[in-house]
Amino acid sequence: MMYPNINPLVLFFASIFTSNILLTNFLGMCSFISISKDLKSSNGLGIAVTLVMTITTALNWILERYVITPMELGYLRYIIYIIVIAAVVQVLEMIIDRVSPNLYMVLGIFLPLITVNCAILGVALFMQLRNYSFIQSVLFGLGSGIGWWLAIVLLAAIRKKTENAPVPAPLKGVGITLITIGIMAMAFIGFAGMINVQ
Amino acid sequence: MSDFKKILKNNFWLENPVIVQILGICSTLAVTNNLRNTLIMTIGVTLVTALSNFTISAMRNLIPRKVRMITQVLVISFYVIMVDIVLRAYVPDVSKALGPYVGLIITNCIIMGRAEAFAQGNRPLISFWDGFTAGLGYMFVLVVVAFFRELLGFGTVLGIQVLPASFPKWTIMVMPPSAFFVLASFIWIAREMQIKKDISKTSQPSGGEKK
Amino acid sequence: MKFDRESKVYTVVFTFITSFIFLVVLSGLNVLTAQQVKRNQELFTIRAVLNAMGIQYASDEDAINTFNSKVKVETKDSYKVFSSEVNGDMIYAILFSGSGLWGNISGVLAVNSDVSKVVGIDFISQSETPGLGGRIEENWFKEQFRNESIVDGKVVVSTTKVPDSKDDGQVDAITGATLTSKSIEKIIATYIPILKSLLGVN
Repeated sequence: MMYPNINPLVLFFASIFTSNILLTNFLGMCSFISISKDLKSSNGLGIAVTLVMTITTALNWILERYVITPMELGYLRYIIYIIVIAAVVQVLEMIIDRVSPNLYMVLGIFLPLITVNCAILGVALFMQLRNYSFIQSVLFGLGSGIGWWLAIVLLAAIRKKTENAPVPAPLKGVGITLITIGIMAMAFIGFAGMINVQ
Repeated sequence: MSDFKKILKNNFWLENPVIVQILGICSTLAVTNNLRNTLIMTIGVTLVTALSNFTISAMRNLIPRKVRMITQVLVISFYVIMVDIVLRAYVPDVSKALGPYVGLIITNCIIMGRAEAFAQGNRPLISFWDGFTAGLGYMFVLVVVAFFRELLGFGTVLGIQVLPASFPKWTIMVMPPSAFFVLASFIWIAREMQIKKDISKTSQPSGGEKK
Repeated sequence: MKFDRESKVYTVVFTFITSFIFLVVLSGLNVLTAQQVKRNQELFTIRAVLNAMGIQYASDEDAINTFNSKVKVETKDSYKVFSSEVNGDMIYAILFSGSGLWGNISGVLAVNSDVSKVVGIDFISQSETPGLGGRIEENWFKEQFRNESIVDGKVVVSTTKVPDSKDDGQVDAITGATLTSKSIEKIIATYIPILKSLLGVN
């Protein structure tokens, strides 16, 4: 087993900015487009995604290292990962409900949405494919979550403005949102010069 | 029989999952700078949607309510893994290029959506058809996107040079942001056509001859 | 058939049976294709070696035959060194692995006998972003290295446009993927001294 020699902090910042999981890998688009209509919900979903992504990446890493690899279950990886994600979401829902009903009011409705958020499974698969160490995986998961959160909040804020803009009818809604995302993606690639930690 | 036709029309055009609801683009949009990879990926999605719809529909009277979602996920993962294994063994180059995106078909919202909305309450054969046509509608949009990205980005179609070498390649078309722009343009045109049709339809009874 | 679909026992039995059937089918399929997958893996390496050395082949079968007949493999200091004679010149190649922006990039680097030129480079695996760093696998990028001179023990992957010369030891980077491009430069710079010492060249 050889872990790539990459500073975990580089992974952390790169996954937030230069290679935002949403803007360069297109993961988590479905809920991104439908939820970003509303700033408050976007924020709630962003937090939930960040939380679940970090926890599931860590759990899946442990499973990968101690169960999947030794038992040569690589071909069942997808099923195992998705079950872990679904289970974490369920447990988290219960815990949050018991511990903090207030937080549940904010996050509760979003949690079920997360099981089918491709970004979560995507991060787990990338983590495995790139053979990250535990620390690298966790920071990559956290960074990707924060990146997703940042992108959805930014988009929600922009969409508030474009709502009243005179957009051609067929381009209204989804069309103009996609163009907005495209411009955001270009702007985020521009961060590439900023982070040169290597 | 007209049911089948109606479903085809709805899923392929009128309620095309991508154009109308922007569902399921996550797993494929990233590979749309290459037409061949997109084709194989969307064929995979179509097969998985059709077969999992069929299976879920066939099992629909046996699935306990409590584990409904997880069973659906299990069925979908089952077919996705099959696609993955087959790709890995017989088209290794494509499998390598698609990387983790094949696995991400599991979380493709279209598949879950069709299973939940259609297969759950319909018979197997028509469910298969519903999934298949939804997949075709999806394939149609993404293949068009990939066609333009590859053509303008590399000057090729399916890897064959079609534009003259003097054509300045648009690097942006290879890069991720262009996927959003091309998809947005496609949706713009598609909606324009749909709206025009709606208008002409509604104005027909009144005898108006407007465009 | 009368089942109580909502009973606990039924739920458990149902879940168990369904999972069991799926697992059996999948593991069967996995076993059936394992051999083929392993062969593909070897083929990737063989093709990368031939590509890096600039040896043509027509098909996968041809690649294997050409590799077996033309390329010699020896192990020196735990490195696998591939060598072949192309147009009267000896070419040496080595497997490399180093980190890119996201993960390990592995591939084959081929040089001429006095390690003054890169003969070619090809990648076996990488996990850079598609459309950005992933473009290192595109031909135009790899072909830039073909017969490029090694200057000061490296080939610079420049982020500003460089002239189309094979003597300056410079090639163009990929737009929007500076870190990946620089990683390739670093990997080459790491492996050139290794190749020199393996081949006994100063």
